[in-house]
Amino acid sequence: MLHTATRGLAAIAILGACSFTAHAEESKALEAGHEYMVATNYPNNLHVIDLQNDSLYKTCQMPDAFGPGTVQLSPDRKIAYVLNNHYADVYGVELDSCKQVFHASITQQPGEKARSMFAFTVSHDGKELYTVANPTLMLNDHYEVKQPRLDVYATDAGMDAKPVRSFPAPRQLTIMQSGDDGTLYVAGADVYKVNVKTGKFDVLIPSRHWKRPLYSAPDVLYVWNQQTHRHDFSLLYTTAKFKDKKEDPATADYLYGFFNIDLATGKTETVDFGPLTEIYFSGMRSPKDPNLMYGVLNRLAKYDIKEKKMLQAANLDHSYYCISFNKAGNKIYLAGTFNDVAIFDADSLKQIGKIQLPGGDMAITTAQIFTR
Amino acid sequence: MKHLKPINNKALKLEQAADENRIEEVVAMNSVAGCASTTDPGWEIDAFGGVSSLCQPMEADLYGCSDPCWWPAQVPDMMSTYPDWNKDAQASNDSWRNLGTVFPDDK
Repeated sequence: MLHTATRGLAAIAILGACSFTAHAEESKALEAGHEYMVATNYPNNLHVIDLQNDSLYKTCQMPDAFGPGTVQLSPDRKIAYVLNNHYADVYGVELDSCKQVFHASITQQPGEKARSMFAFTVSHDGKELYTVANPTLMLNDHYEVKQPRLDVYATDAGMDAKPVRSFPAPRQLTIMQSGDDGTLYVAGADVYKVNVKTGKFDVLIPSRHWKRPLYSAPDVLYVWNQQTHRHDFSLLYTTAKFKDKKEDPATADYLYGFFNIDLATGKTETVDFGPLTEIYFSGMRSPKDPNLMYGVLNRLAKYDIKEKKMLQAANLDHSYYCISFNKAGNKIYLAGTFNDVAIFDADSLKQIGKIQLPGGDMAITTAQIFTR
Repeated sequence: MKHLKPINNKALKLEQAADENRIEEVVAMNSVAGCASTTDPGWEIDAFGGVSSLCQPMEADLYGCSDPCWWPAQVPDMMSTYPDWNKDAQASNDSWRNLGTVFPDDK
């Protein structure tokens, strides 16, 4: 009995030491001027990678379950907001301390179950957080699909935040970014500009409803809500460009393109950048040369936008979903799917490194790169 | 819809609703109950009718699909119905053999 008790105490002492070490590491503040990448993975990690030496700086443990792990950073780059717990909750984590400082449930009304399909972001001034809730009333004998709503939270509302404003929203909304003038840009059937004071949605970039002669309606699947060095909001589309009004799919040219909004000016672009020959899940323009477009899934590919042609492509060890650049634009970091971040030279497309993350899959996470 | 034809019951109902001018009643239950209505190529063939643009290896795509209930016929819906499906296989590349099949509970 005594023997067992002693062993038990020893175990407690060891656990205590581990816990102290973990706590010390979690409270390691980020360093001014350093460039960092944040990425999330199973079971519920928020990793901070220091891009000075391309190594893991620290890992914050988040509450509840993983998925999708999409990260949005506050404008001062001090708080990472994460959509998680099976798309049901948004958590705010202070990066210096790993302390949780904000929590909002997407479900708000009695009897409903609501989820957000990657649809959240922080306002340009960091004071508000926007989510789109897709609610279903779960009744005893049937479900009622309710209209989605745009919920607005104050970011200083703490751990039980409630919407300060709530507006009806169109269906099928996904990623969003906040412009410098406070306009909210939201992707859905079209790309909308939203007045967050009145809840008014206006079509800014027609997508499903575009009127480009001889083009099919575009196909858009884009859920990587990236806060770019170019300070833009961008998503990929594919489309068919027909030879004539007969719209014969067999003779059409199939193209890749992007929608883009400059978050400083609100200026929009709809640009075809090359032939559709393989699938990319995410894409991004180079921070140092806006004429270069990159896409990733099974290969990392580089396009000349003006010439509308692929310049080069690199094979990958496995599929990666999420592409990011460092600020200088000379290195590419590939995240998502498994638990490693692949690093590529943006000019040569040669792989120059790999960072293995503790924990499981990153799956459909959106990583972010920023300078503190 | 001129380039599409229904190939399952859900799509047939959608077409019927369109024929009866009730299209506004058809809503995509995109998250909570019933999940995706997509018929995008994905787990079987890619957008080109081949397999080279499917994720490689296919495990790389597992939780990107099960987390958001993307193809609930092919992978379990982890968003609502089977949230713990991968609790013994958090790194799919290493431990996918721990994943099981799932069946709806008897009513």
